[in-house]
Amino acid sequence: MSGPAGARGGAPAGAKPGFVIDPEKCTECERCMIACSLVKTGLVRLPDSRIAIERRWPETPALQVCRFGGCPGQPCIASCPAEAIACRDGYVLIDREACTGCGACLEACPFQAIRLDEELKAFKCDFCAGEPACVPECATQALRAAGAAEEGA
Amino acid sequence: MSGSMWDTLLRVDLSSRSAQAWPVPQELAACIGGMGYGVKILADEVPPRTDPLAPENKLALSVGPLTGTQAPMQPQSCIVTKSPLTGGILNCYAGGFLGAELKFAGLDGIVLEGRSPDWVLLLVEDGALSFHDASPVLGQGTARTEAYMKERFGPGARTLSIGRAGEKGVAYASIFSETRTFGRGGAGAVLGAKRVKGLAVRGSRGVGVAHPAEFARLAAENMEQLARACAEEFNLVGMFSRVGTGAGMGLVNGRGALATRNHEFGSFDRAAEIDGYAYARKFYTRAVACFGCPVHCGMLHKFRRADGSESWLRGPEYESTFALGSELLNGDPVTLAEANQLCEEYGMDTLTAGVTVAWALEMGEKGILKEPGLPLRFGERSSILGLLERIGERRGIGDLLARGPGRAAAEFGRAALGAAMQVKNSGFAAWMPRRMKGTALAFATSNRGACHKRAPIGAEITGQIDMDAYQGKAGLVKGIQDRVNAIFTLVSCRFHEFVTPPEMYPRFLEAATGRSFGLEEFERLGERIWNLEKLFNLGAGFSRADDALPARCFEPIKGPSSEAAVLEREKFEALLDEYYRLRGWDRDGVPTPGTLKALGLERYASLAGR
Repeated sequence: MSGPAGARGGAPAGAKPGFVIDPEKCTECERCMIACSLVKTGLVRLPDSRIAIERRWPETPALQVCRFGGCPGQPCIASCPAEAIACRDGYVLIDREACTGCGACLEACPFQAIRLDEELKAFKCDFCAGEPACVPECATQALRAAGAAEEGA
Repeated sequence: MSGSMWDTLLRVDLSSRSAQAWPVPQELAACIGGMGYGVKILADEVPPRTDPLAPENKLALSVGPLTGTQAPMQPQSCIVTKSPLTGGILNCYAGGFLGAELKFAGLDGIVLEGRSPDWVLLLVEDGALSFHDASPVLGQGTARTEAYMKERFGPGARTLSIGRAGEKGVAYASIFSETRTFGRGGAGAVLGAKRVKGLAVRGSRGVGVAHPAEFARLAAENMEQLARACAEEFNLVGMFSRVGTGAGMGLVNGRGALATRNHEFGSFDRAAEIDGYAYARKFYTRAVACFGCPVHCGMLHKFRRADGSESWLRGPEYESTFALGSELLNGDPVTLAEANQLCEEYGMDTLTAGVTVAWALEMGEKGILKEPGLPLRFGERSSILGLLERIGERRGIGDLLARGPGRAAAEFGRAALGAAMQVKNSGFAAWMPRRMKGTALAFATSNRGACHKRAPIGAEITGQIDMDAYQGKAGLVKGIQDRVNAIFTLVSCRFHEFVTPPEMYPRFLEAATGRSFGLEEFERLGERIWNLEKLFNLGAGFSRADDALPARCFEPIKGPSSEAAVLEREKFEALLDEYYRLRGWDRDGVPTPGTLKALGLERYASLAGR
């Protein structure tokens, strides 16, 4: 991603990654998923999105995405027998090379935010290195970057 | 493939239960997609005199170059078929998620032909089709049918279905798709005649575009335009975004243009009880959007039915609050919501259903129509719900009413027919031709009958232009018809054009497909499609007499707010003459050889059968 962090509604520079999520406001339009798959793969292909909307129609949906600092205990890290998941500066990231595809982190994640790709490697949101592509797409601000939200932006 | 299109349609022969991928020929690809594909396929392959419910009729479901991309407000898919309601060519649209899923399945559309030996559910998975027994859901409503398909084919499947009205051949049966509707013209009856109860689509392919950077820039620019519109208090799209399409009823009522009591009156004293704001106040839970749409005009309401049970309804849409509300003198939001649910359950167009019920209620009050055990009175809950149910079942008087307002009324003579608010047997949309002269012309000349999607409604109702004037309306209507036909090739939501500058469409198109289009060329395609539809309709037996409004439209509106409004027959006919001239059609509404040549449609001249 180019441009200063926060320029498109992301977190301000230096802020820790994390989302503020208000599922009541989610319209299920999937723009976050469209943006995510585009930024990660160059195509609109929703299974590649690192954020997903779990429909509970007609009740309010749930957003499946990594909460980073907002996740108590970050159980995915300890669950990984290959020690492929680590947290640095608040970024919980998966080392794709080290991942064995065992699926333990999928089970451990309380937000159903980790999935296996076609090569059986675990993947999840990486917060686009500070400027998440999904956030500015959310017209209702059901999804906001934590730093920006704290500043009231 | 070219950019965002796969250049592949799935051809399904239901009679032999076979399917094959069909590479889109270049000549069809030039029609862009959506409505362009559907109309050309029908004109090429279905003789205009074909019985709409015969196996020889075809149903084309298609999407376009913007479907499944990041461009906002492009969720719709298009169905084109020969209409059992009008007997002419039909195009209808539903939002939701089905269109994008078709793209993800590697298809630009599906063409159904023939008739299945048994009732089937169709499943399309990444371009491959399978047939499944529909008997577990036969006779079921649309919501249950679609829930069953999701259970059977996976929760990620996107679906469409018909209800009992489609199974039984109600002429204005609709097709539902997860609370969005292919509403108009009876496509549900065509699907029913083919013995297709539902379709589920699952796709895992990625959709790209020809020029990704330019496309992303355009999408971002368009998103900003929409965000600005949504933030404006009096922008129509902004109002839809906050309270849904029902937001405008107060405005329309105030202008004496809210069709009330079978179009006799132009205002309804209980409008404020059934408009978008009333539903928002009483029943709002949250807004729900179609695929990729930041406007989220769908309002999900939770209410208590008259029997005390808790229930949900996405809507009602504005048009339904007219057809099942003011038009029936029904000011009860719960009865209206239940009537809407009945239409969903049975799978019927709320507009033509409501307008037909309005006519029946008037005839009932005049003593011309009777139904044992059912009072026929305006505003009466049991009358409204009872008639809708009888239509859905084609039981009792419902069998007559299921033919459509024009055909039902024709059984009772001229006066009764003049009170049936229809064009080409398709019920009026929520607007009063007497108040809005451009809309009058649009209703009369629409190829699919009494259509509001190609009428200058916004400009007339908001007062941008004088709604009572005739001057300039012929050119205005022609322009809208051509432009909207063009954007229905993409397939854009009708509301997208309210906000998006016209010159953006060819830019989007080029960035998506790599094919260069000028704005004039793009709108010219819309005009070609309009003329092709017209030729089909002429071949089906239509004439100038079908570009006509019911007699009621030429009588003064009753009630205090609209007493001056009247449509004068001579002026209306002169307007129609002017419109035909601008179209390059003769006085009977037949495109001249010169017009067909200019549009490159010479080889379709014989379609008109003249």
